[in-house]
Amino acid sequence: MRGADYLIKRTGAALLTVFVAITLNFVLFRAVPGSAITALRCQHCTKQFKAALEKELGLDKPMLQQYTIYLGNLAQGDLGTSLVDRRPVWQNLKGPILNTLPMLAVATIVSIVIGVAAGVMSAWRRGTKVDRINTWTALSFYAMPTQWIGLMIVFYVALRFGFPVAGIRDPTLGILGEPSTWTVINDRIRHLILPALTLGIGLYGEYALIVRSSMLETLGEDYVLTARAKGLKNLRIVYRHGLRNAMLPLVTLIALSFGYILAGAIVIEEVFSYPGIGLATIDAIDRRDYPVLQGAFLLLTLTVIFFNFVADLLYFKLDPRVTA
Amino acid sequence: MTMEAVPPPGGTVAAPVHSNQSRRGALRRLLAGDRQALVGTVVLALFVAVAVAAPVLSPYSPTAKVGDVYGRPSPAHWLGLDDGGIDMLTLLIWGARVSLLVGFAASLMAMLIGGTVGILSGYMGGKTDTVLMRVTDYFLVIPDVPLMIVVAAIWGQSLFNIVVIIAVIYWTSTARLIRSQVKSVREQVYVKRARSLGASNARLIIKHVLPQVTPLLVANTVLTVATAIFAETYIAFLGLGDPSQVSWGKLIQNSLTGGAIFSDAWWAIVPPGICVTLVILACTMVGQSMEDAMNPRLKVGHLSVHRFRLRSFPREPGGV
Amino acid sequence: MSEAILQVEDLHIWFDLDEGELHAVQGVSFELEPGERMGLVGESGCGKTTTILAVMGLLPANASVAGRVLFNGEDILEEGENTVAPHRWKDIAMVFQGAMNAFNPVKRIGDQIAEPMELHGTARGRQAKGRVGDLLELVGIPGSRADRYPHEFSGGMRQRAAIAMALACGPKILLADEPTTALDVMVQAQILELLVGLTEELGLALVFVTHDLPVVAQTCGRAAVMYAGRIAEEGATADLYHDARHPYTRLLFAATPDLHGKEKIISIPGSPPRLDRVITGCPFQPRCDRAFAPCPTVTPRTVSVAERHVAACHLNEVPAERLGEAGATGAR
Repeated sequence: MRGADYLIKRTGAALLTVFVAITLNFVLFRAVPGSAITALRCQHCTKQFKAALEKELGLDKPMLQQYTIYLGNLAQGDLGTSLVDRRPVWQNLKGPILNTLPMLAVATIVSIVIGVAAGVMSAWRRGTKVDRINTWTALSFYAMPTQWIGLMIVFYVALRFGFPVAGIRDPTLGILGEPSTWTVINDRIRHLILPALTLGIGLYGEYALIVRSSMLETLGEDYVLTARAKGLKNLRIVYRHGLRNAMLPLVTLIALSFGYILAGAIVIEEVFSYPGIGLATIDAIDRRDYPVLQGAFLLLTLTVIFFNFVADLLYFKLDPRVTA
Repeated sequence: MTMEAVPPPGGTVAAPVHSNQSRRGALRRLLAGDRQALVGTVVLALFVAVAVAAPVLSPYSPTAKVGDVYGRPSPAHWLGLDDGGIDMLTLLIWGARVSLLVGFAASLMAMLIGGTVGILSGYMGGKTDTVLMRVTDYFLVIPDVPLMIVVAAIWGQSLFNIVVIIAVIYWTSTARLIRSQVKSVREQVYVKRARSLGASNARLIIKHVLPQVTPLLVANTVLTVATAIFAETYIAFLGLGDPSQVSWGKLIQNSLTGGAIFSDAWWAIVPPGICVTLVILACTMVGQSMEDAMNPRLKVGHLSVHRFRLRSFPREPGGV
Repeated sequence: MSEAILQVEDLHIWFDLDEGELHAVQGVSFELEPGERMGLVGESGCGKTTTILAVMGLLPANASVAGRVLFNGEDILEEGENTVAPHRWKDIAMVFQGAMNAFNPVKRIGDQIAEPMELHGTARGRQAKGRVGDLLELVGIPGSRADRYPHEFSGGMRQRAAIAMALACGPKILLADEPTTALDVMVQAQILELLVGLTEELGLALVFVTHDLPVVAQTCGRAAVMYAGRIAEEGATADLYHDARHPYTRLLFAATPDLHGKEKIISIPGSPPRLDRVITGCPFQPRCDRAFAPCPTVTPRTVSVAERHVAACHLNEVPAERLGEAGATGAR
């Protein structure tokens, strides 16, 4: 069966990559020159403190043993303990992840919708003013540093129109009594919407350009001429033959660009002080809380690998020409 | 050639270039005739000139406090002052130095690594190829951003490290591109080799492969400069940049940490981002035009909003 | 003349390009009777594909057209897209080069054949499915293959499927653009046989565009030879072979080794003229072996040289005695 073969191969490849990622995670944080790790934590600590820290983190053991312990811990879902608040890393990251997810989802949807609309419109009206304006705009937003877009939005939009620019909840909520579910949801959305939209704007440019390019390629294919010869009207051709074929690269692009989406999320959360995994990562960097940083890195990496895997599967499902 | 809409990553219609000999000439002709490439080159050149002339051009010293925190723009200070009372325009000019330096250096390094891997992989083929491609694949799969963050956090924050980190993350696409190019060129080279027995691989690579691959390499490098500058602003924003150097990325970060937003200091927020955007756009324009010149895509659209026109034509005198 | 199902009158087509205007088709005229098979022959770039695309109005936006295309006496190009669109596939259908991506790779063959049927109301749903099966059987493909994707078909089978698709709405005219180029010889013969058989059986008129002379000789009773956007000569295939009245036709037939040869490349020294400049005199003159005084400066008229045989060459306007001096025409 066509499916099984491909599935097995791809799953195998993904698992192998996961293993490489886990190992890399270990290597990066342990196999550093000297005792750079303890140096990270504090530059002015006493030798005894450093020694105690090393022992606590298990850094005094031989490397291979450390590695085994590390793998064992991972298998049990133990990502280590935060150096700052002594809680398990997972506890520190769980909440932020839940905060980031809806924001990411909205941002991705926004960027896809705008990107596809802009791309299709551009391709359809190739060479016209609409096309040029569209393409230049997309390219410009793609060139702007995401954090800068965030800053501009905060400066020119958020403050002017009274959007919240920090956190995920209004701190005054619940002071005077139990807030209703609707109020809570409303509050969440208000805090989420600007970061999500901003991230979406930062992302859409790439998609618009790819969709345009893909659509132009598709519209130049011979089967489009055949469709026209068969008597189909232009719009019908675009919808039935154009979109389906042109979207193929986009679907995989989105899955593959997940790393880029995450990168954008990190800086956007910093700009908007939105307590998601991005902000948690940056905080971990600032405080040199390296177990949390390590945990975050692992989670981010695994997510990206997962989405690459999804991309493989999607392409396989959508394009009948792809075989194992 | 008319100024087409800026080519997306996929490329658009361009004049076909056929023979290999004409490739270099085509590059020059293209830069002269293609308005888009011209504009991009001019913008880039301007920024480079400003960066080089920084000591001469900047009105003040980049470390001297010359006024109040977030002083407003005035005839003496066109772009006002930052949160340390330093002249913004000066900072921008000196920032150009660092940003462009990192961009070009990282890109060059990425090109060297990627180009070498690509050439070796494409030329040698077989086991070397497989191994190198495996390595490239794994580099590709590890997400660049988390890797960048972690490595920068661990290995310290010097300009050199930043350049190396960026190069190490972004060499893979160059490698792949060059590899496929080399593979297609390899056939010709082997024919030549048969004729000139005794010529070593190295000589063949330098004399025959390199010239064919260089234009593509150059185009790719220019595009990578854009990516590198983008990456630098990113790293700087996370506080992982070189603390002793001022780059545009650092200026953007400063505007957040220095409270420019709440001080209503647009001059600290807007200009650095604009500079970065302009440079990246310029690089993209130039690089993309170069790539288009080498890989023409003459796809005619079968569909259009417009339709074919009817016109009248005088009947030919005589006829059947 | 009024029986002709298709009449092309003085067709001119221009393409508006960046570098200037290309006069791709320069005054082409021909007629096709119901059930007749006509070949349209010439080198690549001579305008033959553009001509038949124009018959269906399938020109791109940068094209402009002058002249008339009459289907059953009615000018279908009169108002451009509006008047020609209703005739697509129902009256006139086209078979493209099968090697091309004429089929959408992500849709099943059966669905693509059924598509025009549903669009034009020829058949719907289950009825359409049945008809698809019938059409496939007609071209020699098992009906069960309708659920497959194009990449699962071989080149020859894809071409058959393309023919089946063209017949979906029962057209009266079939335009075939290089249908057998890029297929190997054995398959080519089969496809040709299929085309001839079908057109006979269904009473279809056929315009067969190709650069391959032997193929035309096998399948078509009449043929028009195109050069530089114009018709050099037109007549019964046998007449063109035995009594060519244009040097280009004669050289074409001579350049082909034999009627069943595999060599498809026609080699006459030189190359066709550029069509973005005005051509003075006869376009073939620089490569012609019989060129004489008027050729470089005077455009030859299309004259009738025999019953249903026309040619555009000054040699046909020279009195018979002088022809003897210039050397015999025809003769392989």
